[in-house]
Amino acid sequence: MPVTAYLIVSALLFTIGAIGVLVRRNPLVMFMSIELMLNAVNLSFMAFAHFLNSVDGWMFVFLVLTVAAAEVVVGLAIIVSIFRTRHEIDVDELNTLKG
Amino acid sequence: MLNLTPYILLLPLAGFVALGLLGRALPRMAISLIGCGVVLAAFALAVADFIAMLGVAPDARFSIVQPWTWVISGSLKIPFGLLSDPLSAVMLLIVTGVGFLIHVYSIGYMADDPGYWRFFSFLNLFIFTMALLVAADNFLMLLVGWGGVGLASFLLIGFWYTRPSAVAAARKAFVVNVIGDFGLLLAIFLIFKTFGTLQYSSLLRGPILIIPSTFGPPVLSHPALSTSSATITAIALLLFVAAAAKSAQLPLHVWLPDAMEGPTPVSALIHAATMVTAGVYLVARASAIFSASPTALAVVGIVGGATALFAATIACVQMDIKRVLAYSTMSQLGYMFMGEAAGGFSSGIFHLTTHAYFKALLFMAAGAVIHALAGEQDMRKMGGLRAKLPRTFWLFVIGGLALAAVFPLSGFWSKDGILSVVLERARTDGGTGWYVLYGVGLVTAILTGFYIFRLIFGVFLGTYRGEPVAAHGAHGAADDARDPLRNVREVGTTMMVPMVILGILSVIGGFYGTPWNDAIGTFLEPSTHTVNMGIPPGSGLFLSGFALGLVTGPIGIAIAWALYARRQPRFAPSRNPLVVLLQHKYYIDELYNAVFVVPVTSIGALWRIGLEDGLFGRGSSGLGQVVGGMSKGLRRLQTGYARNYALAIFIGAALILVYFVVHP
Repeated sequence: MPVTAYLIVSALLFTIGAIGVLVRRNPLVMFMSIELMLNAVNLSFMAFAHFLNSVDGWMFVFLVLTVAAAEVVVGLAIIVSIFRTRHEIDVDELNTLKG
Repeated sequence: MLNLTPYILLLPLAGFVALGLLGRALPRMAISLIGCGVVLAAFALAVADFIAMLGVAPDARFSIVQPWTWVISGSLKIPFGLLSDPLSAVMLLIVTGVGFLIHVYSIGYMADDPGYWRFFSFLNLFIFTMALLVAADNFLMLLVGWGGVGLASFLLIGFWYTRPSAVAAARKAFVVNVIGDFGLLLAIFLIFKTFGTLQYSSLLRGPILIIPSTFGPPVLSHPALSTSSATITAIALLLFVAAAAKSAQLPLHVWLPDAMEGPTPVSALIHAATMVTAGVYLVARASAIFSASPTALAVVGIVGGATALFAATIACVQMDIKRVLAYSTMSQLGYMFMGEAAGGFSSGIFHLTTHAYFKALLFMAAGAVIHALAGEQDMRKMGGLRAKLPRTFWLFVIGGLALAAVFPLSGFWSKDGILSVVLERARTDGGTGWYVLYGVGLVTAILTGFYIFRLIFGVFLGTYRGEPVAAHGAHGAADDARDPLRNVREVGTTMMVPMVILGILSVIGGFYGTPWNDAIGTFLEPSTHTVNMGIPPGSGLFLSGFALGLVTGPIGIAIAWALYARRQPRFAPSRNPLVVLLQHKYYIDELYNAVFVVPVTSIGALWRIGLEDGLFGRGSSGLGQVVGGMSKGLRRLQTGYARNYALAIFIGAALILVYFVVHP
């Protein structure tokens, strides 16, 4: 299969994730969408690594996975602490920083 | 030789710092102990220095301590140097000795004041700066002390800072003193440019060698002096500007009468005994420079004589007892300058010491009267206090007799010394001007006896003319109308003892400077290079001068007795134009107000309305409004919705992507 196929799948996944971040108001779902975007990028990294016979893409994938795991930990902690203080987690309600 | 000067300086400084930082928390007992203790210790050290100095030969009575170098800039190198010589020793004795007595007096006088700790802290600061002024071994450190005493004076005149008049007086004193500081600064520049040094030791004893001639100004051997004596005259005149401002001489005298707004111990210490004499000290210290310029000495003599007469005439009509003493101080300072102008630098310093005793005593006694009458200072509302305040009365009389130069009190000898020096100068010089100056001295002496005994008779004799005096600490009128003075009491021990000591000094303080045994003149000779020791005793001229000196004071007292020693002396306003002129102090304040103050304040008002309010005020607020309006629009972008920001990020990322696709 040509590399284009992988890239099309990757682009589709990325778009789904981006739309998810923009339209959903539940932070948990938004997080999942962000994961989707990250993994879409991972997919394109792997595809290029395979077709270019380079190991660099692999390394980026591991890096992205690690960062994603750390980000989820921090993000979930923030969400839990927001829920404990405000008893709701609708992101549109969290607009205290309005100018 | 023993030189304890650094410790004499350090003690009051430590007292100032300790009281300034911790005074608020300390009990009054501790404040009094620290405040007076440090000055007493400094006085003990000054006495030790003085005794050690007497033990060595006159030529060896100089020593300099230079702990470190203070300023290095190009060829200018100024050590932090403290000088111990006969002149500074005498000055330190007066500053710390009289200063200590006034500290003790203040314990009683300021007992009820909430700013007790602040007062003693400022007094210690004053003693420190004054000691620095007289102990400096170069002109730059002199300037530091010079400015420091101005600051201490400012703080103490404005001590009761809730009174607008006190604040105005403090500001006036500071502004006039800064004129003098400026003169001193210019003199320092010129001295450095001419001689290349600011050290007294190399300046006044080294390169400039004083060769005492038989009479006349000493010959100075310095290359700069032979080339242009105009420079020396300029230096001397600039120094005298500083001296005149500090010592309240014409035309820079206007601050001293107003300075009486300060507490009475301050008037006694700063505005009678010590600070105002700094000008006399400066002229004596720079005697080598002044002696080299007959023009400058003539100016000193004219200004001193004019001030002596001018202030004495004003003192004759003043009603506020402290103001009478203030004008008297100006007049006596003029006397000191007269003596110095005639070449008798030690006679000026001698009068400085005796004046410190009797004028401090007079101020303290006036303070005791004011204290007893619960703050009254107008002699029209006094009278008949002799029965209630017998000890204060007799101390006042002693001070008055000394001031009026009645034989054999201290003031007689010092005033006679000055007159004798002026007469000697007139005899050797042959100039009419010196004879005129001598005449001015005699007239002033008569006026002095008159105004001080007008004050004493008005306050203590006759019948009481004021309101009933309220009980101490109580407010409202006294309850007993039959005896309005029922609550009047003599002051307590802490105030009486310093007055008695000064009273004794006022009586005997002149015996170290009689014409037959001029101990102080001989002692000061190495420092002041006095070329004129007065008329030698024994000649016919001496006898007639002495006789004139004997009668002038009593003549003035007799006139005062004839006019004011009655039951109801007339203090009513007079229509006599001369009296009106004197009551308005020759309209000098009004003149300065019209010539200097009003133009400056109107220019200031113009700038304030035009520049400050118009340009800077509206300009800066307009700039603020522009920025504020812009940010009011921009803050709409900050919606607070996380998804809006996410959308903005995506749109931005998409635009960047499009850009790279279009421009590969």
